[in-house]
Amino acid sequence: MSESSTAIPRASCVLVSGGSRGLGLALVQDALDAGAKVATFARTITPELEKLAADRPDDVHIGSVDITDEKAVRTFIKEAAAHLGPIDALVNNAAIGQDSLHVHTSPERIAAIVATNLTAPLLVVRAFLRHAMAKSGRGRIVMVTSVCAQRGYSGLVTYSATKGGLDSAMRTLAREMHGRFLVNSVAPGFFASEMSSVLGTEQLSTITRRTPTGRLVEPENIAPVVRSLLFDDTNINGQVLTIDGGGSI
Amino acid sequence: MADGCLDYIAMTTLPRDQVRSMMGEVLAAQGKELPAEDAALLETIGFRSLDFSELALRVEDELDEELNFDAPGLRSIETVGDVLTFIDQLQQA
Repeated sequence: MSESSTAIPRASCVLVSGGSRGLGLALVQDALDAGAKVATFARTITPELEKLAADRPDDVHIGSVDITDEKAVRTFIKEAAAHLGPIDALVNNAAIGQDSLHVHTSPERIAAIVATNLTAPLLVVRAFLRHAMAKSGRGRIVMVTSVCAQRGYSGLVTYSATKGGLDSAMRTLAREMHGRFLVNSVAPGFFASEMSSVLGTEQLSTITRRTPTGRLVEPENIAPVVRSLLFDDTNINGQVLTIDGGGSI
Repeated sequence: MADGCLDYIAMTTLPRDQVRSMMGEVLAAQGKELPAEDAALLETIGFRSLDFSELALRVEDELDEELNFDAPGLRSIETVGDVLTFIDQLQQA
């Protein structure tokens, strides 16, 4: 059987998980600015996302969906495609955090982090691929992972394991979907907003000082990289692009 | 549910003095001493976050119950008294 060797087309309709706030919302806005339609779901719909959907009813489809509810995710994809047309790109962004030593993290919390950050994203990829293979045949996937998958940071054992798991799955998918889908990860460092909510000013300034660029990451730093992976003909495939101001080098 | 049943399922808690002596044991194992004053600073006596973790696990062993907690709560702990109060609060939670 002959294999296609032409470039994977730019995304025309992007599914973003966890697009109601923070990085997810920035990625939704950026994909719209790049000319794509966007379907996004989150557990809770924020007023910002509601406004986007109201302002651009033909381009945005939103839903209140828990990513661990596989059936609800599949229904959302079907409804979004009926509204916007075939979905040909996925940004797997939804995740929950951790800030506790492994020995003091309950088995229930560990299971919840794995369910939300690893099992559910794998099932979203599966649901997306089943849709996209049938409808458009080709497309792009971006996993939002973390620098924690590459370097050790205290208090993030399970979180890091899930992000490392997604990076591994990403590489295998890039092989498995040969010529059909570009699959990559972006791995942000620590966001200034997240860090400032749990660390004191002194700790924050120490981390910032140790970052070669002298500043922590903002969602605005991640969006252009995701945009390129979704819309440009870069031929980047199976890679983790780390965006952390050089903090992990 | 009868009061007796409630008493039965309620978690046992360790008194502050007992937790204090366990904290002393954690420090003694490293050749350090626990000052008598609750106001003593952890930084001064060299009681670090993993020492707190060890103390919490010793308390768990004693209670046969897990006392799981997130890290942000720990970051405001500065004195011996803060440690004892935090452990106390964990047991009450």
